[in-house]
Amino acid sequence: MSSEDLQDTDTEARFEFKKEQKSALKADKGLTEETIRLISDDKDEPEWMLERRLRALKQFQEMPMPTDWPGQPDLSEVDVDEIVPYIRPDVDVRAGVDDWTELPDDIKDTFDKLGIPEAEKNALSGVGAQYESEVVYQNMRDRWEEKGVIFCNMDEAVQEHEEIVREHFMTKCVPPSDNKFAALHGAIWSGGSFVYVPEDTTVDMPVQAYFRMNSEGMGQFEHTLIIAEENSEVHYIEGCSAPKYSAFNLHSGGVEVFVGEDAHVQYSTVQNWSKNTYNLNTKRAIVEENGRMEWISGSMGSKATMLYPSTILKGRGASDNHITIAFAGEGQDIDTGAKVYHNAPNTKSTIESKSISKDGGRTNYRGLVHIADGAEGSSTAVECDALMFDNESTSDTMPYMEINESNVDVAHEATVGKIGDEDIFYLQSRGLDDDDAKQMIVSGFIEPITEELPIEYAVELNRLVELEMEGSLG
Amino acid sequence: MSTQVLDSLSEDTVRRIAEERDEPDWLLETRLDAFDELDELDLPDVIQTPGRRWTNLEGLDFESLVDPLNQADVTERDGEDDVVVLPFTEAFAEYGDVIEANFGSVLDPQENYLTALSVALFTTGTFVYVPAGVDAEDVTIRAEMNSRSLFSQTLVVTEESSSVTILEGIESGADAAADVSPANADRYFSNLVEVAAGENSYVQYGSLQNLAEDTYTYTLKRGSTDTYATINWIEGNLGSALTRSDVETELDGDGSETQIVGAFFGHDDQHLDLNARVWHNAENTTADLVTRGVLDEEARSVYEGVQDVGRDAWNTSSYQRENTLMLSDDAEADASPKLIIHNHDTEASHSATVGQVDAEELFYMKSRSIDPETARNMLVEGFFVPVLEEIRVDEFRDDLEELVQARLE
Repeated sequence: MSSEDLQDTDTEARFEFKKEQKSALKADKGLTEETIRLISDDKDEPEWMLERRLRALKQFQEMPMPTDWPGQPDLSEVDVDEIVPYIRPDVDVRAGVDDWTELPDDIKDTFDKLGIPEAEKNALSGVGAQYESEVVYQNMRDRWEEKGVIFCNMDEAVQEHEEIVREHFMTKCVPPSDNKFAALHGAIWSGGSFVYVPEDTTVDMPVQAYFRMNSEGMGQFEHTLIIAEENSEVHYIEGCSAPKYSAFNLHSGGVEVFVGEDAHVQYSTVQNWSKNTYNLNTKRAIVEENGRMEWISGSMGSKATMLYPSTILKGRGASDNHITIAFAGEGQDIDTGAKVYHNAPNTKSTIESKSISKDGGRTNYRGLVHIADGAEGSSTAVECDALMFDNESTSDTMPYMEINESNVDVAHEATVGKIGDEDIFYLQSRGLDDDDAKQMIVSGFIEPITEELPIEYAVELNRLVELEMEGSLG
Repeated sequence: MSTQVLDSLSEDTVRRIAEERDEPDWLLETRLDAFDELDELDLPDVIQTPGRRWTNLEGLDFESLVDPLNQADVTERDGEDDVVVLPFTEAFAEYGDVIEANFGSVLDPQENYLTALSVALFTTGTFVYVPAGVDAEDVTIRAEMNSRSLFSQTLVVTEESSSVTILEGIESGADAAADVSPANADRYFSNLVEVAAGENSYVQYGSLQNLAEDTYTYTLKRGSTDTYATINWIEGNLGSALTRSDVETELDGDGSETQIVGAFFGHDDQHLDLNARVWHNAENTTADLVTRGVLDEEARSVYEGVQDVGRDAWNTSSYQRENTLMLSDDAEADASPKLIIHNHDTEASHSATVGQVDAEELFYMKSRSIDPETARNMLVEGFFVPVLEEIRVDEFRDDLEELVQARLE
């Protein structure tokens, strides 16, 4: 997916196409113990995983829907009993093939259109591709495998790396009791990635997973577990998309990241779910001494998103950076932000949030920074900037700060405004028309995010923004 | 959650209070309506984050705090000749219509459980009326609380192109402790203030609360601005065991403005829940929210600032700053400055910081042979300067500075 190719491609068509819905196994709608046993049995899982699923199901059933958050997105349409929780695509190799040509034509064609095989050649250490509930393609360059780096799909990890998964899977990082949708995820998760980077290993090209929902009314619940051992480094990228249907889709992923001493993990997401998708994720990282976590998130798609990647700074000197951009157009409610818990001395965090709302869309930065008693010498800086295009749209900022320690440096800043008339006038005086001027200003506004991504993804993100902006500027 | 009506309260209590004060029927009705709604109303909203509730109002034992028929206060009211500054009981005869027209128009008595309780039971308070074109520089209301519980209600009405500066001081009476039985029981002070600022009028309302630290304080101050009107609030909180303070302006008229300046200084295990909110409901409105506070020992502050810009609030300017200085490791500062923006033709910003006394500044002063404690105290006093500078009334500034100094000693 070189930048020239992208220029020639109709971006909207690339995400919007639908494939005929066929599968090897499709669970009934709704969520019962029977469904969960079916999923677990179909995956031939060990007993402990089934037990965890069933426990999570119970917690899900006991927890109320979140409805009392100030200004939260409307979730009244989200009826889990209407969701098809599990669709196993009709492919021969269960754990995912490592050659695109072995995939059925329609699935291969899907990922070709999304540009994944092309990107793999050019810019990535490894690629996983999930279609509906299961990973259909998984491959990593040999030189990483030789160093002991593991990049496989989560279902395979449960079988092949059972002990390490058993220890880390939804135990210390994101327990199902965290929130209702984490519990749902714990009950019916399927697919996702497992990444293990051994000590002193730097994976210098990103690994990527791409998640595609094709069927109407389905839910995708992939689980990602990343373990970076001492002094290791990895950059994980996830992309997601789905064609739009009239019924709602639900995406409720779970991400757990363990950042070891002196390790560095970057987790980048370009989310472009269709505008009938509810995107309710739980993402969390635990960072040991002097480790560093980075969350880079671009939220472009979905009908409603509630996502607050969190970092627990557990070891002395650990640090965390959040960069997040949200773009809400017509009918979209993007409620996103960050959570950071400073639980050790000399920990640092920065949060940079950019949001754009237009045509009646709503963005909200909702964030929490907690500095525990004893986390002396810690510092946090939060910066939120919002750009608005009209008075149909809404831009909210709701930060929460809890500071239990005096020897700290805490700063929060936020601004909201419109595109400056002077900026536009200046660009027009240089011969740009109004639309181009606005697009250019928006591209500049989100640059802090795009410059953190490999060039292919930066171009992608810019294309998505342009697409959102097209034809709707007055 | 809904709060239970206190067993000790009855409609009779409310009627007795109204009768003793010889109030007009409409006010009795307002009180009774508020009383009837108590069952249905909730306590004011409190911020909640995963696993934490920032202020525990539910923990207050209103049954023992509220003693409606034994309320006692000494309130001195001063104003110039052309402005009306009276207790309600003395104002009904001449200004009954103005009071009836404005009472509850800005602050709905049934806003929440605590406002309804306050309107049903208030026995003191002040009516301030500034006729058109009058400039009243110097209105003071100094209240002393002398009972277990005290409910106060203040209404300020300014007519076109008038201006008024009002200073309100609230303290506990010297012998107040003796009046509370059993001795050492907690006390409750409720203070509702509403301001209806007429066209092109200017209101500055300063309130300095320094109640004894066995007192639980609830105050809600809300103003509404007509076209070109200005309401500037100054809210100083140093006293009480627990303070819940909401200071709010509805910018309802085009071209109107508001400023909310807050200063607090908590020590021991004081809990301060301070809120500043502004709603931009009209065009060309401006708001500036500035709060600074210091926390010592085990004090805790909880701050929420809300800037809400409505769909029709074209050309809005709205700013908010909140800074907290921590003097102790056992203190806690929680803050949530919120922006709710529905119109893009807005310039809005907010910022919040938490930090401690700057080590370099301290070192510099020590190098000038100032002893550490004096140096620290000077830096704390200096920290309040940006807030003090916003206060245009010398008397209020002096009072606040004195209280800050006294606390540092």
